[in-house]
Amino acid sequence: MYKLSAKQQFIECAKLGKILARKCKNCAELHLATVYFCQKCGHKEFENVELEGKGTVVTYTIITVPPAGFEKYTPYAWVVVQLGSNLRISGFMANIAKPADLPIGSKAKIVDFDERGIILEKQ
Amino acid sequence: MEKVCVIGAGSTKYGKLQESISDITVQASVDAIESAGIEPKEIDAGYISNVFGVADKQVHLGPVVMSNLGISEKPSLSIESACGSGSVSFREAFANVAGGFYDAVLVTGVEKVTHTGTEWTTTYFSYCSDFFYEGQAGASFPGLFASMARAYLTEFKATEEDLAMVAVKNHDNGFLNPKAHLRKKITIDDVMNSAVVASPLKLYDCCPFSDGASAVILCNEKFAKQHTKNYIRVIGSGRGGSPAALQGRNHITTIPSTKIAAEAAYKMAGIKPKDVDFAEVHDCFTIAEIVDSEDLGFFEKGKAVEAVREGKTRLNGEISINPSGGLKSKGHPIGATGVGQVVEVFDQLTGKAGERTVKDAKVGLTHNFGATGASCAVHIFQSV
Ligand SMILES: CC(C)(COP(=O)(O)OP(=O)(O)OC[C@H]1O[C@@H](n2cnc3c(N)ncnc32)[C@H](O)[C@@H]1OP(=O)(O)O)[C@@H](O)C(=O)NCCC(=O)NCCS
Ligand SMILES: [Zn+2]
Repeated sequence: MYKLSAKQQFIECAKLGKILARKCKNCAELHLATVYFCQKCGHKEFENVELEGKGTVVTYTIITVPPAGFEKYTPYAWVVVQLGSNLRISGFMANIAKPADLPIGSKAKIVDFDERGIILEKQ
Repeated sequence: MEKVCVIGAGSTKYGKLQESISDITVQASVDAIESAGIEPKEIDAGYISNVFGVADKQVHLGPVVMSNLGISEKPSLSIESACGSGSVSFREAFANVAGGFYDAVLVTGVEKVTHTGTEWTTTYFSYCSDFFYEGQAGASFPGLFASMARAYLTEFKATEEDLAMVAVKNHDNGFLNPKAHLRKKITIDDVMNSAVVASPLKLYDCCPFSDGASAVILCNEKFAKQHTKNYIRVIGSGRGGSPAALQGRNHITTIPSTKIAAEAAYKMAGIKPKDVDFAEVHDCFTIAEIVDSEDLGFFEKGKAVEAVREGKTRLNGEISINPSGGLKSKGHPIGATGVGQVVEVFDQLTGKAGERTVKDAKVGLTHNFGATGASCAVHIFQSV
């Protein structure tokens, strides 16, 4: 059955700095908790796994022309992070004004989830 | 499968337009019908692509267009697939003609957004991303492609000046296109000195927000031969998908849907990338043209930058990429772009491209995607 609470659980975990992942019971592939069928094998039974929301910066941008609601944070970064496992996550990062503030490969972690989605911080 | 042809094409100017969304949609449709030399009554169905009709108070555009053409009884389909709407719509029309359901159809794409202003257009466009992870977290479209650009520049040791050369080339081509939105030549310094939008991308690395409409008439070959000598054949059609969010991709410097769509289109056409004389590719940002021309097989991974440096992709270079000026200079009315690319191919292959004609061209390719390439369509055309 489609579980309406999956996204909510994912959000609650992110608020605690963790990523709720789903491990396929058939092939062990990891997915974010918002997925219902395995991309690799099509299986639909998963085991919940809580991962540490920590990893390294794969790429990012520093936004100076923001969408509505983000003027007060500008400039800020939107960042893609490689978690220790074979999974990536992306989110908002405040107080990044120039590329030197965030070299690729920097360590970053999830610290919260609010109206800006996943909130990352440089470590 | 029926052989499918394009027998007519029309476009409004791209830019900031004053007319309403329905007015420009109908205008482009009428131009395409007249260019084909057919009567509206001969059209069996309409495919209308658009993304933000809600911003100009008109969605469900299909019946409005058909009613204005005096064929209100004919079926229509209104289609949304972000920036790739036009080519996806073209593909649905192609499939229905190829499958024998219809003899002749109208495909029109349109967008009317510039009146909403920079902040709101940026916001609306962010709804095309995987919003939970991207738009919601403040990622604009320039921001998403900037992330792709930073990954590419890091991995392949390319420079921001390399990206700038794509913009300079496309503005050179667009300067020769009377319908282009940004019709001016620019230099690498202009690009490098323009304001940063989302680092490392600057204003001149970005396509503009544009209004505009484009339309084509698609039909089977029997219908084409009965009406005109001036038609082109659709010899390949392919579609593909990618993970909706950038974080779902192991490599951010390639777009999976482009490769899947291109492979299918080349296979159907029975040709190789080297057989393509010119291509209209999805250069929403300078980095996108680099990534596209590698994913489409024109250059090896990591080598497109060198090709641009050597001028291989200029008008009448080894392979002319974006002779129309591309999204960068011609403009990017998102629901219209995919259809507009077919208009350019039609003009090129029927001798109507004027000063920007690709010499001796026989085979043209169009490549158009939605969002960061989450959805994609590639089509290949041949002159008769
Ligand atoms: C870059 C961007 C933020 C500029 O915002 P905008 O609302 O178009 O800017 P304005 O209309 O205020 O234009 C300011 C000036 O820059 C020029 N300009 C705007 N966009 C331009 C562009 N992309 N390239 C070159 N010049 C541009 C305008 O002509 C105008 O010049 P003028 O004052 O001499 O008339 C916006 O064009 C953008 O986000 N582009 C990307 C669109 C996009 O994401 N599409 C979907 C792709 S998947
Ligand atoms: Zn599995």
